[in-house]
Amino acid sequence: MKKHSLLLLSGGIGTRMQQDIPKQHLLLFGRPIIIHTLERVDKIEEIGEIIITCPKQYIEELENMIINYNLNKSIKIIQGGNTRQESVFKGLTEINNNSVIIHEAARPFVKLADFENLINSEYSNISYGLDIPFTVLKKKDDYISENLNRSELVNIQLPQKFNAEELKQAHIKAKEEGTTFTEDASLLLKYSNSKVNIINGSDYNIKITTPVDYKIAEIIYKDYILNEI
Amino acid sequence: MKVYIITGASKGIGKSTAIKLSHDNPGDLYIILARDLSKLIETKKLMHVDSNVITKPIDLSDSDKVIKLIRSIGDEYGRIDYLINVAGYVNPKSLLETTVENWEMTFKVNILSVFVLTREAVRFMKKTGGKILNVASTAGLSSRPGWSAYSSSKAALISFSKTMSDELEEYGIKSYVVSPGRCATDLRKQLAPEEDPTTIMQPEEVADVISNLMGENGNNLDGQNIIIRKQL
Ligand SMILES: NC(=O)c1ccc[n+]([C@@H]2O[C@H](COP(=O)([O-])OP(=O)(O)OC[C@H]3O[C@@H](n4cnc5c(N)ncnc54)[C@H](OP(=O)(O)O)[C@@H]3O)[C@@H](O)[C@H]2O)c1
Repeated sequence: MKKHSLLLLSGGIGTRMQQDIPKQHLLLFGRPIIIHTLERVDKIEEIGEIIITCPKQYIEELENMIINYNLNKSIKIIQGGNTRQESVFKGLTEINNNSVIIHEAARPFVKLADFENLINSEYSNISYGLDIPFTVLKKKDDYISENLNRSELVNIQLPQKFNAEELKQAHIKAKEEGTTFTEDASLLLKYSNSKVNIINGSDYNIKITTPVDYKIAEIIYKDYILNEI
Repeated sequence: MKVYIITGASKGIGKSTAIKLSHDNPGDLYIILARDLSKLIETKKLMHVDSNVITKPIDLSDSDKVIKLIRSIGDEYGRIDYLINVAGYVNPKSLLETTVENWEMTFKVNILSVFVLTREAVRFMKKTGGKILNVASTAGLSSRPGWSAYSSSKAALISFSKTMSDELEEYGIKSYVVSPGRCATDLRKQLAPEEDPTTIMQPEEVADVISNLMGENGNNLDGQNIIIRKQL
């Protein structure tokens, strides 16, 4: 059986308002947000190892959490970089499989099937994506500067699966050139000849970023994960 | 083979529950707990012969021992399918006569031990799904002058059980809570020494309900306090 590594980005840092608790450690229906993903992934045989990148000050807390939830998989926590891109690169240097699945801890509404679809896909580079239901335009200073055709745009969602070596080489090139990217499909597109396939994502798979996201998260959990509403 | 842990199995409702479950599901593994080993052995003798029964004497007010025991059970059998918390303690006193020791012991046995047992069992049960049932009491639902420690510990148990029903749902773990009314056991004798035990509910009747809940009939009855009471 082909094994994949999971690289889980847990980079958020708590703000004073939330008593310095990073978002991915806040409770969602009783359990820390990051644990939702870890517990689901724990059931997937094809995932051979999990690498978590995390700010130094939360490593110990996360280690204790993982012990408490009695997870089966081998989990390694490493200190993340200064940017998301640096954290991914650091994670890529730690993995032991040719294929890597990248996910963010702040997206707890990922189902087992979402990971399995990536694992079973014939494409080695593949990302979830959604059509954009609203209009996005370019701006310059305080003026709209350019139209964008939304039918050509895609809202990129995690998880994503990549050929680990290809992605690593692309990261090395990006580092050399000092370019920055907010996610890895765009980075790979720029620095390799590989194509990244898009698979249809879900409206529910939100990234918990704002206080509003956190407020609606419990409703999404009950409706989408527990099927209760 | 399913693995059951049943507390309070040396007498009363817990004993009847262990016997009933083993007859309804022979062939499973039953780990029965209480302090009194000789009484646990008596229970074992009445359980179905095809059941695998292990007696474990333990004082549930000792959390460290409880943690050790559940971890050893989980490690040895690899699974815990049912946790049935029946053990209970009462020492009825008026407010002014209730000592701190009495209050602490009541809460240790009736709620602290249930929390510890649940936490430790869920670390294993979350991998397979399962059922947890707690025996609370109608005393947890209304005012009981003279039994404040007992009745408030049972109110806590009802609340804890309901929260577990939500919190553990994604693991496929169902959490049940039953509240029996007066039932002919030693514990009841302490609360109502003058009562004729033959006129009230028998422990076997509570055990029947528990066994039903642990089977498929109970699949839609979790998360709510189920009152088991003989209407007089
Ligand atoms: N009888 C009623 O009218 C009634 C009504 C509502 C609810 N309940 C509840 O039903 C449950 C069972 O009680 P019961 O009526 O069947 O009373 P019981 O016959 O006196 O049984 C109590 C059980 O709890 C065990 N126990 C007590 N303290 C313990 C400790 N420190 N460590 C380990 N085990 C301990 C006892 O075992 P050892 O003594 O061998 O340790 C015994 O097996 C209790 O939770 C009780 O609150 C009873």
